[in-house]
Amino acid sequence: MSDAILSAHNLVKHFHAGGWGAARKVVRAVDDVSFEVAEGETLGVVGESGCGKSTTARLLTHLLAPNSGEVRYRGRVAGTEVPLKTFRRHVQMVFQDSYASLNPRMTMLDAVAFGPTVHGIDRAEARRRAGALLERVGLDPARFGPRYPHEISGGQRQRVNIARALAFDPDVIVLDEAVSALDKSVEAQVLNLLTELRRERNLTYIFISHDLNVVRHISDRVMVMYLGEVVEIGPTRTIYDRPRHPYTGALLAAMPSLDPDRRTLEAPLQGDPPNPIDPPSGCRFHTRCAQAHGPCPLHAPGSIAVGHRHIAACHLNAVPEAAT
Amino acid sequence: MTAPLVEVSDLTVTFAGTPPVHAVNGVSFTLGQGEVLGILGESGSGKSVTLKTLLRLLPARRTQIGGSVRVSGQDVLALEGRALADHRGGVVSMIFQDPGLALDPVYTIGHQIAETVMRHEGLGRRDAMARALDMLDLVRIPSAKRRLSNYPHEMSGGMRQRAMIALALACKPKLLLADEPTTALDATVQIQILLLLRDLQREMGMGVIFVTHDIGVAVEVSDKLAVMYAGRFVETGTVADIIRDARHPYSQGLLAANLVGAEPGTLLQAIPGAPPALHAPPVGCAFAPRCALARPACAADPVALWQSREDRWARCLAAAEADTADATADPSP
Repeated sequence: MSDAILSAHNLVKHFHAGGWGAARKVVRAVDDVSFEVAEGETLGVVGESGCGKSTTARLLTHLLAPNSGEVRYRGRVAGTEVPLKTFRRHVQMVFQDSYASLNPRMTMLDAVAFGPTVHGIDRAEARRRAGALLERVGLDPARFGPRYPHEISGGQRQRVNIARALAFDPDVIVLDEAVSALDKSVEAQVLNLLTELRRERNLTYIFISHDLNVVRHISDRVMVMYLGEVVEIGPTRTIYDRPRHPYTGALLAAMPSLDPDRRTLEAPLQGDPPNPIDPPSGCRFHTRCAQAHGPCPLHAPGSIAVGHRHIAACHLNAVPEAAT
Repeated sequence: MTAPLVEVSDLTVTFAGTPPVHAVNGVSFTLGQGEVLGILGESGSGKSVTLKTLLRLLPARRTQIGGSVRVSGQDVLALEGRALADHRGGVVSMIFQDPGLALDPVYTIGHQIAETVMRHEGLGRRDAMARALDMLDLVRIPSAKRRLSNYPHEMSGGMRQRAMIALALACKPKLLLADEPTTALDATVQIQILLLLRDLQREMGMGVIFVTHDIGVAVEVSDKLAVMYAGRFVETGTVADIIRDARHPYSQGLLAANLVGAEPGTLLQAIPGAPPALHAPPVGCAFAPRCALARPACAADPVALWQSREDRWARCLAAAEADTADATADPSP
């Protein structure tokens, strides 16, 4: 589709996990992942630990180089057709650990102003803009500008990280569990800030989280990952109301009900997610899937369109002709 | 009527230091046999400290504890030496957020469970190992016999948490303390552990105090809920009371922040500001600086109480006034 602002094409990232020669072990962190994000849209990415959502985020922002595949920004390949320096001005990232992602020896104002000065903006001008950005994210620049990361709270630090990401006036922000470490009351404040900023600046978010409630609240579309693969991607409401992949269904059923009269009675899945070092054959979910049948352990289902902009990688969705 | 399992009254915990930290500021509650109390609060609200006091796990030199804590009639704060060791693991035991840290990395799971059983019940090693195997079966660890000789690092996160539950329950405690036991787990594993805890609680009839920041988790396991803020309970009631009819503005804000009934894409009713630093015990309502309904009278101490039953109350002036206003406007028939 032509209006995609950022797209991933067959991204693959394997990590070497010890052993050499025949005993070489490889973590298949991201295996053939493709998707696209339209301008102004928020794509939620959900999945359990080890499903590759953070690796995907790092590949998207080119903090990691893929083994194969490419990331395109407005249709042009990042790293070659768009130089990385330009690419990073447009695509920024906010991480989960607000403390680790700030330089402990830099004040908040310097942290926000640093990127633009590296990109050639006059220092005084960069600091003036940084002050305005701190103000925008709800931190008084006179009070918080001269402080160091250890002097402010987690919620305030995450606001600084958001201000820093905004310093380049980017189009896309990748938020990797950006609100997960915050307390609920602070998390709500930061979510509100993100919602407002998105409206003001027509931002595109890729919002990675394990919290399905938050993802439902903020996303237009949702992508579900399992063991390095995309299992389902589609409009938020459709995914939550009528998931077409059994794993998505299980994730949703595992959410606490918040209704004391209708508590969850049965766990939708047994056991832990398998190790991505040696993922199951065929459909990687077949070992935990209640509906696994003939073809599941044998071959991967591939992406099957099940509705408008809705794809689910599950044999149950295969049309009967294709199965014969 | 039998005596309650846990009676905590006017508990205060202060950590020495410059400045000191007043972590718990007057917590009182009772818990009956076989009841499950969920304590809901954010980081720094004093929920874990309250829990650790019940096991006397806080560093004795730096901690001043006031008030009284009784578990099945025993004065916990007076326990010393062997009696304290008998209390820990025998009467009350605890499971933690990170089983990777709570289990000993250099002993097998079977050894750790057997050690506890041998200490508390005086069984021999063979019998204790048999009990360990029973416990692993009880927490539904597949191929339990093989797992008995596993070290913690050889197990997955969900399996380790099951092993820790087995360890905690090995001596059939009357009270289980759970400190965010599912926070570090994946969603599909979390629900398995919650259901397991609920089943075991029912089977063994023990009391459980379950501390969490996640309302959804609290609703799944608890009978009663207490919302904690700045070292105090601000509201208590049954789970349904709190979820459907929260009276304290902080509880209401927490529910909104958990996106209960929120319209996607809209702004949330977020609580402004941040929790207070507890360098001095709060005077009046500690939530007043963040509260939309705050007024000068909120600084009065003690804070007015709204109460409908013995264990259904909210410590909020606005809630108390709203209730009396209703009562005068609509005299009961």
